[in-house]
Amino acid sequence: MTQEMSFFERHEFMIRRLHSLSGLIPVGAFMVVHLMANASINNGTESYQKIVYQIHSLGPAVLVVEWLFIFLPIIFHALLGFVFIFQGRSNVSKYPYQANYRYVAQRVTGMIAFFFILWHVLQMNGVIHADWFRETIADPIGLAQFRPYNAASTAAKALQNPIVSGLYAIGILACVFHFANGLWTMGITWGVWVSPKAQKMASHICLGVGAIIAVIGLSALVGFYKVDIDKAEARELEMYEQGIKSGTILADPHKLIDSQRADQENH
Amino acid sequence: MIKDAYDQTISSFTVRIERQDGPGSPSYWETFDVTYESDMNVISVLQRIAAMSETATGEKTTPVAWSCGCLEEVCGSCTMVINGKVRQSCSALVDNLLDGTDQELVLQPMSKFPVVRDLVVDRQRIFRSLQRVEAWVPVDTYYDMGPGPKVSRAQQEINYPLSECMSCGCCMEACPQYTKVEVVRADGESDADYDKRVNEAYDTQFIGPQAISQAMLFNSHPTGAQIAEERLELLSGPGGVQVCGNAQNCVTVCPKEIPLTTSIARAGRAVTVHKFKKWFGKS
Amino acid sequence: MSKPRVVIVGGGLAGLSCTMKLCELGVDVDLISLVPVKRSHSVCAQGGINSCNDQTRQIGDTEWKHFDDTVYGGDFLNHQPPVKEMADWAPKVIDLMDRLGVTFNRTQEGFLDRRRFGGTLYKRTAFAGATTGQQLLYGLDEQVRRWESQGKVTKYEHWDFLGPILDENRVCRGAIAQNLRTMEIRSFPADVVVVGSGGPGLVYGRSTMSVMCTGSAASRCFQAGAKYGNGEFIQVHPTAIPGADKLRLMSESARGEGGRVWVPRKPQDSRDPKSIPEDERYYFLESRYPEYGNLVPRDIATREIFDICVNEGLSVEADRLCVYLDLTHIPKPELDRKLGGILDIYQKFQGVDPRDVPMKIFPAVHYSMGGLWTDYERTQAGGLRVASPRNHQTNIENLYAIGECDYHYHGANRLGANSLLSCIFTGLFVAPGIQQKLSGMTKLSSEYATVHKAAQDEHQNRHDSLLKRDGGNENPYLLHQELGQVMTRSATVVRRNDQLAEAYETICDLHERSKNCSLSDTGNWTNQNVVFTKGVMDMFPLAKTIVKGALQRDECRGAHYKPDFQFPPLQATTDQERHREAELWCDRFEENNKKWLKSTIAEFDGEHPQITYEDVDVSIEPPRPRLYGLVGAEVIEQVWNDRRAKRSADVAENQAAAT
Repeated sequence: MTQEMSFFERHEFMIRRLHSLSGLIPVGAFMVVHLMANASINNGTESYQKIVYQIHSLGPAVLVVEWLFIFLPIIFHALLGFVFIFQGRSNVSKYPYQANYRYVAQRVTGMIAFFFILWHVLQMNGVIHADWFRETIADPIGLAQFRPYNAASTAAKALQNPIVSGLYAIGILACVFHFANGLWTMGITWGVWVSPKAQKMASHICLGVGAIIAVIGLSALVGFYKVDIDKAEARELEMYEQGIKSGTILADPHKLIDSQRADQENH
Repeated sequence: MIKDAYDQTISSFTVRIERQDGPGSPSYWETFDVTYESDMNVISVLQRIAAMSETATGEKTTPVAWSCGCLEEVCGSCTMVINGKVRQSCSALVDNLLDGTDQELVLQPMSKFPVVRDLVVDRQRIFRSLQRVEAWVPVDTYYDMGPGPKVSRAQQEINYPLSECMSCGCCMEACPQYTKVEVVRADGESDADYDKRVNEAYDTQFIGPQAISQAMLFNSHPTGAQIAEERLELLSGPGGVQVCGNAQNCVTVCPKEIPLTTSIARAGRAVTVHKFKKWFGKS
Repeated sequence: MSKPRVVIVGGGLAGLSCTMKLCELGVDVDLISLVPVKRSHSVCAQGGINSCNDQTRQIGDTEWKHFDDTVYGGDFLNHQPPVKEMADWAPKVIDLMDRLGVTFNRTQEGFLDRRRFGGTLYKRTAFAGATTGQQLLYGLDEQVRRWESQGKVTKYEHWDFLGPILDENRVCRGAIAQNLRTMEIRSFPADVVVVGSGGPGLVYGRSTMSVMCTGSAASRCFQAGAKYGNGEFIQVHPTAIPGADKLRLMSESARGEGGRVWVPRKPQDSRDPKSIPEDERYYFLESRYPEYGNLVPRDIATREIFDICVNEGLSVEADRLCVYLDLTHIPKPELDRKLGGILDIYQKFQGVDPRDVPMKIFPAVHYSMGGLWTDYERTQAGGLRVASPRNHQTNIENLYAIGECDYHYHGANRLGANSLLSCIFTGLFVAPGIQQKLSGMTKLSSEYATVHKAAQDEHQNRHDSLLKRDGGNENPYLLHQELGQVMTRSATVVRRNDQLAEAYETICDLHERSKNCSLSDTGNWTNQNVVFTKGVMDMFPLAKTIVKGALQRDECRGAHYKPDFQFPPLQATTDQERHREAELWCDRFEENNKKWLKSTIAEFDGEHPQITYEDVDVSIEPPRPRLYGLVGAEVIEQVWNDRRAKRSADVAENQAAAT
């Protein structure tokens, strides 16, 4: 070939494979861990808060981990995903076969997942953790609602609206389908399951994995819905203060809800 | 469902054909009335239409152009979109197609290849993709050198179905990842210049299931495997196996029931191993 | 000086094997084909390819026996040196195809599997499933693609060969072809033109051949002055599925596994065949041949099915000749086990399950033994001289013919699984001769620009005037149908002089009418209408050659069967009488050979084929009677062998006396 190829054309294989890989590691893996952590809410405020403490025991490094292993890979996976979606032409109306439906579903759930995650991250995490951002932008329009040191109560509060939880349910299911089906196609792409028989078996396994993760994910939603917010806030404050005393957590009032933050800052 | 051949009541039926006079011209529809005969297939319908060259409303028209060859579903010529689905027209029996509610046949050219005229499309890209993946056994010479390498029966039974591929294009037509490439000839452009430009356009686009499958066929032949690495390099080049989106329509529409998705997965595995070897292996 | 070039017309087994071999020899090739070469008619061959092999050799087979089976099967009308060379090469051809990756069936141990085919006692036939032709073609197609990627071959696919370009000395200097998409007519300067364009099945309307097998390329060479040999020898396959568009082969194994052939006693009985009671069915093979029943040999089955439909008017359908081949009495599991594959083919194309409903079948034109006359150079040993430029050259210098469209190898009838062999063999074998030819040339075709220009203009004018012509009301499609009907009726299985003479008149009439064809498409873009019309017009010279050759040949030989000239079976009951009858039979046989053991050579005078006869080279194996199934065959064979022994004794005696 003599003509000049674009960067994408020259590295198409690498880019596609990285895209495939990033869906499992780290994005998919993170999602599974995240959903399982969330599901711990069903064990009570403490269990959940402990897990969040663990994550935040990294201190400022959390930010690095967040960006390097979560946000950037998701952005990479999602943006490329959009490019790939527009390179194909779905034809399920002419060829209504099962795998073809899944091909379309993979792309639709990918797009749902992208917008869901975008919303979810802004709503909960807020991305920018500066005070000015929180005060002037996030708080007025309801972003960055999650406080790591009030994990259960803030998450629960954010999910009290049934419409919000409904949309979360859709978002979670889309993510889980995208993950489980992606796992199956990944196995073909990388040549793990080759024969039709193996592919069939793999699709059953992926379906099973997906179903389990879906149950875990949805159970967290239910768990958050059932949280008694006042009680949770009180318990979280206790835990915070104990943690500071015993030195097991890093003091960071920014990770508390505003009412508690003010108290703590006055100490 | 097989219709009972002895219980046929209709006397004629309608055929709607999507026509196009040449590359770049707009497509249009024409309707023909065809007298019903028993045992008709789409080829014989088109033969009748060519002989009468008259539309259902009685207007004279040019005969509809289409491609066909062996009429036994082994040459791969007569692929078209019949009632919405791609298939060989020689094995498309009118009795089966009219089984539905309306007594109408709808014929369209394949949508993934440039239309030459009416139902004739330019499938050069299919053959070009075979060239891209070097789908051949690189023998030294055609002089007599004795028999070829021994091949086990089991291996032959894997390879034979792959070598039944007739490059008809059904798999590509049904593939959502395979998209049309049409290069418009510039004014006064020579054949050679045009062909070069066309091939360059094809060479960065998806090679499609058939070429992937053929590459696997030759990689599993003892002599063919001598250039297996080259083929894997090509398969992982622009438009290679990585473009596959696993919709798996190819294997469903393949008239020869070739295990294309197995070939694609084999290619995926081989390319994975090849790349790992290349990056981490011996220098 | 520019490099010599070769134009090859046709991308089937012969054209492709010739192309790849020439490339290997360093010759550049332009390959012209109506269709992408991978779609050539060779894909349709199912059975296999013959050669003497390690296994058969150990039970007494030799290349000689393969040669002998071939000439015996061809009723000794084959020139023997080419056949001998082909049989000698056969094992090498299969080895080569094996090396090219053809997916031949394998034995448990990994060797090529072989099966037995008609006309031999040995398992000579290598095969790849039921698609041997397809697999062989793909093997060659891949090699040619390899050369194409190196720029040695330029393919002109979707181009129609319009004729050879001849200079004032009637030497071929190139080819004229037309692009089927742009309709551009172009001259291709070439120092050698090789035609490997296959058979002329479409002359018969519908046959087992592909739609591009019009014979037009051979006909255009014929009209340009090339001789056509043995045109009347057309092989008919006994059982084909008569489709509305083509006739598809139905394997003979359906009869082999117990299929019964019958027709309703009431002509065109429209009842469901299964509801027709036994006593209203006519099992004509079983009743006429109580001994063999439905398993009569191929040619007899063919003739009887033909006879019951054409002469007795008992065809199952009125407008389409066919008889029932009934398997419905056999349990379905047994059918699936033994015949599953071929029954699925029937179901796919007829939409009816032959396990439930009797199949409808009829004989179909299948192969042309005849074709363009070509030369060869014989060696002392009786084979062909390797790399002789004379091998496979037509009577037009620099114009060669190979594959089904040349007249060698198959004589009066072709042995199963020999056609794939002859195609690949000729393609490979002719290449070094062409290379020799090129190296001996002093003036290359590139120096004949004016000749090329003139030819191109002539064809362009012909094309333009065809498009412009108005007034005529003949429909080329209907003319083709009429031609097919008259050819099928008169010149297939059973031939009668009155019918042939009448057919010749009809064909002449159709030929005249074809000059008034009106085109429904007069455009200059992918005009299939004008291409078809030209093809139809070029069918008439071949049709006339076939019919005239058949009319003149008053004998039975191979596929050419004239009941009026058939040798009667022995009728006497006593041994002595029988012996005497056999002597007479043999006298008559020798007498007939003196007159008719000759190649039919046709030359076209612009209107009619002029026919002459040429001796056949039978110097290697003297002709002997073909006695399949004849009553009294043993006695005749005995008499014949005695004669032969005596003759060789005489020769030996004379030689002894001379020394």
